[in-house]
Amino acid sequence: MKFFKRTDIIIIACILIVSGALMGIYRFNMSEGDVKAELYYYNDLINTVDLSQGQERKFTIPQNENILLQVYEDGTIAFIESDCPDKVCIQTGRISKPGEFAACLPNGVIMKIVPKERDEKDVDLVIGQ
Amino acid sequence: MDYKLMAKSMIENKNKTEIMVLNSMVFAAALVLAIVESILPPVPIPVPGVKFGLSNIAVMFALFFLGKKQAYTIGILKGLFVFITRGAIAGLLSLSGGLLSITVMILLMVIFKDKITYMVLSIFGGVSHNVGQFIVITIIYTGMNMWAYFPVLLISGLVAGIVTSMLLKFVMPAFKSLM
Repeated sequence: MKFFKRTDIIIIACILIVSGALMGIYRFNMSEGDVKAELYYYNDLINTVDLSQGQERKFTIPQNENILLQVYEDGTIAFIESDCPDKVCIQTGRISKPGEFAACLPNGVIMKIVPKERDEKDVDLVIGQ
Repeated sequence: MDYKLMAKSMIENKNKTEIMVLNSMVFAAALVLAIVESILPPVPIPVPGVKFGLSNIAVMFALFFLGKKQAYTIGILKGLFVFITRGAIAGLLSLSGGLLSITVMILLMVIFKDKITYMVLSIFGGVSHNVGQFIVITIIYTGMNMWAYFPVLLISGLVAGIVTSMLLKFVMPAFKSLM
């Protein structure tokens, strides 16, 4: 068994093309425009935050007071404080585009950005609309 | 260089105790690599939780040059260690990713035998590691449409696979001195 062959480049290119295409399809389906952030605690949608108001504010969630989130003026949102060990959620930084995620898996909190007018294009695969 | 011929001699002529010691040495190497990775600054990309998984170098070494059983042993021990140090969900993610990637790499090695290269094996290992974690996340957090994240997992698995296979080649002399 060799370490590397020239034909390996084809395999690498295939993976890149597939993921690029998937990303393109997803971005294309996500209509431009106003967005909102959805906050999930395990499987439940607990909060929806409008990101187009241009006001800066901080808030926490009732399920875990140690998690602090901040909405910025430019329509981005970020985790800024959390008691989890690895702080992946904070390192993710500010997110604002549809499809972007920030997650604090140890605390079971996931935040994702979705278009404000949620139509049939973005029907949830698992639980429906 | 044909590592495979050398690989056979690594496990042959060794009794149970020697193999056990070898396993624990490779596991210790995996832990050290994980610690080194946690010291390094986070990868500067806007995606949560993506890392190279340097400790997979040890798993890959075990799989390529020691055997399937050793690779699974290292994978399970690694999962348990993460479970103890970083909690249940992190442990479950490590275990699911690790076991799936080992299984995929074994299948590819059985199907393609010598035609496949170490780098491709490592790439598929990296991608399937991510896919395994993704499956567990979608099972735990069922209410979410996570598919936007899937291409990111493919690309990060690809990059991680390339990086770890190159590093494995680079650190081979160090591993050989364990023998």
